[in-house]
Amino acid sequence: MKDNYDINNYTYDMDRCIGCKGCVWVDHVYMPGVRYGVKCPSNAYKLFDGYAPMGREKIGKALLEGRIDYTPEYLDVMYMCQLCGACDAGCKRNLDLEPLSVLESLRVKAVKDGKGPMPAHKKVAQNIAEKGNRYGAAEKRSGWITKDTKISDKADMVYFPGCSASYVEKGIAQATGKILNKAGINFMTLGDKDTCCGHPVATSGMLDEAKAIARKNIDILKATGATTLVTSCAECYNTWKVIYPKMLSKNFADMGYQVIHLVEVVSKLVNEGKFTFSKPMNIRAAYHDPCRMARQGEPWVEWEGTRGQWGILTPKKEYRRGTFGVYQQPRDILNKIQGLDLVEMPRMKENAFCCGAGGGVMDAYPDFAMWAATERLTEVQSVAAEAVISACPYCKKVFNEASKANNMNIKAYDITEIILACM
Amino acid sequence: MGIPQEAYKAMEDIVGSQYITDDQVIAQAYVGRLGHGKDTGIDLEMNVPPAVIVLPRTTKEVQGILKIAHRYKINYVPASSFWISHCAPKRPNSIVLDLKRMNDLEIDEENMCAICGPGVIFSQLQEEAIKRGMYTTTPGGGSQVSVVANHINWGLSPLNYRNGVPGRRVLGGEWVLPDGELLRIGSMSTSDDPFWGEGPGPDLRGLLRGWIGWFGAMGVVTKLAVKLLPFHDEGLKPVGISPHTTLQFPEKKRIRWYNFVMPTRESLVECMYDIGKAEIAAALTKVPQQWRYIAKAGCREDFWEGWNTNEARKSINNIHICRVMLVGYASEEQLEYEERVLMDIMDSYGAKLGRTRQSDNSWIKNADSATMWMMTGAYTSVQVTVDTVDCGVKGGEGLAREKPAFTPPLMDDYGEPGWFQVSEIGHMGYIEFLQYWDPNPNQENLYKKDEWNYIKVPTLDAEWGMFNAFNMYASPMNLTGKAYGPECRKWFEKVKAEFDPDKISNDPIPWDVDEYVDKVDWVNKEDYINRDWSKG
Ligand SMILES: Cc1cc2nc3c(=O)[nH]c(=O)nc-3n(C[C@H](O)[C@H](O)[C@H](O)COP(=O)(O)OP(=O)(O)OC[C@H]3O[C@@H](n4cnc5c(N)ncnc54)[C@H](O)[C@@H]3O)c2cc1C
Ligand code: SF4
Ligand code: SF4
Repeated sequence: MKDNYDINNYTYDMDRCIGCKGCVWVDHVYMPGVRYGVKCPSNAYKLFDGYAPMGREKIGKALLEGRIDYTPEYLDVMYMCQLCGACDAGCKRNLDLEPLSVLESLRVKAVKDGKGPMPAHKKVAQNIAEKGNRYGAAEKRSGWITKDTKISDKADMVYFPGCSASYVEKGIAQATGKILNKAGINFMTLGDKDTCCGHPVATSGMLDEAKAIARKNIDILKATGATTLVTSCAECYNTWKVIYPKMLSKNFADMGYQVIHLVEVVSKLVNEGKFTFSKPMNIRAAYHDPCRMARQGEPWVEWEGTRGQWGILTPKKEYRRGTFGVYQQPRDILNKIQGLDLVEMPRMKENAFCCGAGGGVMDAYPDFAMWAATERLTEVQSVAAEAVISACPYCKKVFNEASKANNMNIKAYDITEIILACM
Repeated sequence: MGIPQEAYKAMEDIVGSQYITDDQVIAQAYVGRLGHGKDTGIDLEMNVPPAVIVLPRTTKEVQGILKIAHRYKINYVPASSFWISHCAPKRPNSIVLDLKRMNDLEIDEENMCAICGPGVIFSQLQEEAIKRGMYTTTPGGGSQVSVVANHINWGLSPLNYRNGVPGRRVLGGEWVLPDGELLRIGSMSTSDDPFWGEGPGPDLRGLLRGWIGWFGAMGVVTKLAVKLLPFHDEGLKPVGISPHTTLQFPEKKRIRWYNFVMPTRESLVECMYDIGKAEIAAALTKVPQQWRYIAKAGCREDFWEGWNTNEARKSINNIHICRVMLVGYASEEQLEYEERVLMDIMDSYGAKLGRTRQSDNSWIKNADSATMWMMTGAYTSVQVTVDTVDCGVKGGEGLAREKPAFTPPLMDDYGEPGWFQVSEIGHMGYIEFLQYWDPNPNQENLYKKDEWNYIKVPTLDAEWGMFNAFNMYASPMNLTGKAYGPECRKWFEKVKAEFDPDKISNDPIPWDVDEYVDKVDWVNKEDYINRDWSKG
């Protein structure tokens, strides 16, 4: 069985990187100009090419070939990256290469070699191992549940709120529950078996630990008999839909469950006229595409085969190029809300600039995360929006913190809160 | 290893510690293996990591760095967007000047020009220009290349049919000479207002580049004023999600592509002359067959399914596609007029108009040169001849006859005689001969692709009397073509000796190939390198 996180499976991809920087620049068709022309947060923050995807690939290759060894700078290079996947979609616009898998696998190698992850990641992993949540919180995970939220004991759909909405951004979980109630959709939760999806463990490269979490969570879900998992968090969404099957070397289609984000549920109903908004919201807002369900939202497609002359793959591989991510659904919803003036930022959809919080950056490099969030908020300002709406609790949190720290007077919302306020 | 500590410290004082590093992990990101020349012998065997990478912000900072390099005799490599392996150091202990922070862009709408720092790339300039009803020539090399680096070195694209070759579009600039002295050229020699292009006295723009430039071997250009040309004012609308993104043409008839299938290669050449004589059109190019198959493919395997067919093999001699772009610069009526003229010309050759998408994702703002690697994982062009188009076609057909001896390791392109187009309203022809190979080091006879690139093609050019501009930087300097002969090399040597006697500006460019072939054992040096081509 192929190990999708073994860097030796990606030496071709590293070697055939051609330095075109499709991974760094916004798609030239959408290029907005000099300002906001770069979509890789890491290379926008640290300008040396070592902090760009193609630089990382060359550095990783140098490590594999013994030309360099692990150093503190090497670890910074590998971990000062949100794993936001902007590079991956950009590269695959023209080429059949896998830069994101390279970046992830280099982290896995660092952990296997006893050099990674960063201390802050180890702490988060320890919290998850000991308390079942990334914060190490001792409280029950179900603290978000209000009396007026109807949760079934048995249903075909499980709501998986994730750590952030369970402990920090509880309003998102509460809104999700109420929206599902209003839509008349029965749902259950994993009850006292609900724990972290393992996203921070997987992205920090701790593959064995992440696999164990995956197996446990999949078994828990199966035991409920439910076939659909709904999330309100882009990271959980991606973990169940992409990371679990990728770690277990399986097609998502063979995992035996469906994963949907709340916006997919609501947009379908909205487009069918079965969900309407009765209250207006008078704001000018920009929608921020969360990386993990937008350009990285396509389900994992397993491939195993050989590479022959001219680099031809047998059998043919189906690439996840970021084309079919969740882009339009949130826009469809927001466009239906009276008074909400939805504007696009220069970097949008597959070219969106990450909020800064992903890939373990918020834990290990909080200054960098805040810088990236601030950079994104200047983009919100550039289109004269007063608010930014995302579909991931981590984006909301880091945006609000950055706005406050810089007196930017921009409010960040989660889309669930907007839906709730207007229904 | 490394450069003197004092030199490092002095540069650090200039740019600040955040913008300089000698970290050898970061240095690995700058070892080459990118852009044009990737996977050639030079890329694999000569490129070394730099000792220091420095990111200057201003002309003054560049001057300071070059003065230090000059004082300590440290080799340096200027690099703007790294789309050619000449940006990688070939000497140990070199400094790379990564110029990406120098991304100031000023548009002078009234005088139709832009002043660019080397960190500005074409799609950025094109966005600003199109917004204002103007445009520039995005080179085929890609939207991601530096406006400055491309204008001073190369600069080819079908858009040059109307806009002229890039040397003519440089109005002025700031040029830090190899020793750090600042030279202002063109109309920027007297003021900051470059609208016209001429300065008093002899014009030193010709020293910066003739047909082709110095590839970093003559200091650093820190600012360039380039012409913008009038476009239509309806804009282009970006649509789609990656990888299917494109610029949709406006509904008003202000810009149109036309793909004609010509009955013969001769008629393809002849119609180009006629279109030029009629002084219509904005771009005019042949479409090589493998590009059509790339455009249809969703992935490499799709390409090969299409290419490994008799239909593809036959297409080389049976299908001749002429792609024409018309722009109604002034009005829809202009486009309608040009369309009538174009149709008359094409009818007279019995051309058939094929289905053509009215959008652009390959020449105006986006240019996907990366897709050249899609077929085999390695690519380079060996010949860029600028002459008449029939001369180019003759050369291309000749090379196509010789190429089978080098195939494999080169990919079999069934005798495709290259990509040709006309520039400057038909006054200039252009051909580029492209090769693709599998760079897997286990391939047998892989060295033969270098023999073909560095030796065989330039030798044939010299024998056939073709001016191959590539020879200026991609083959031994002696093989510069009969028409221009060894004198061209001497000019390079004299100018270099005058301005950079210590050879610290991107050494050994432009003599890197000479140095490389001298070292390797598969070259017959007597025949190829040491022959006196001036004697024919
Ligand atoms: C697939 C492919 C297709 C191509 N097709 C075309 C084409 O159709 N038309 C075309 O014009 N080119 C083409 N090229 C060639 C080439 O890549 C471009 O000309 C490109 O402009 C060179 O790279 P760059 O602009 O990124 O500049 P860089 O790579 O940064 O530099 C180019 C050279 O100039 C030097 N340099 C860089 N900046 C400065 C500066 N500020 N001052 C002084 N010297 C400097 C560098 O040392 C280097 O030698 C193609 C390349 C590829 C890979
Ligand atoms: S887009 Fe892909 S091939 Fe191009 S530089 Fe980035 S990783 Fe390399
Ligand atoms: S994943 Fe995001 S931050 Fe990391 S290299 Fe790619 S684009 Fe940059």
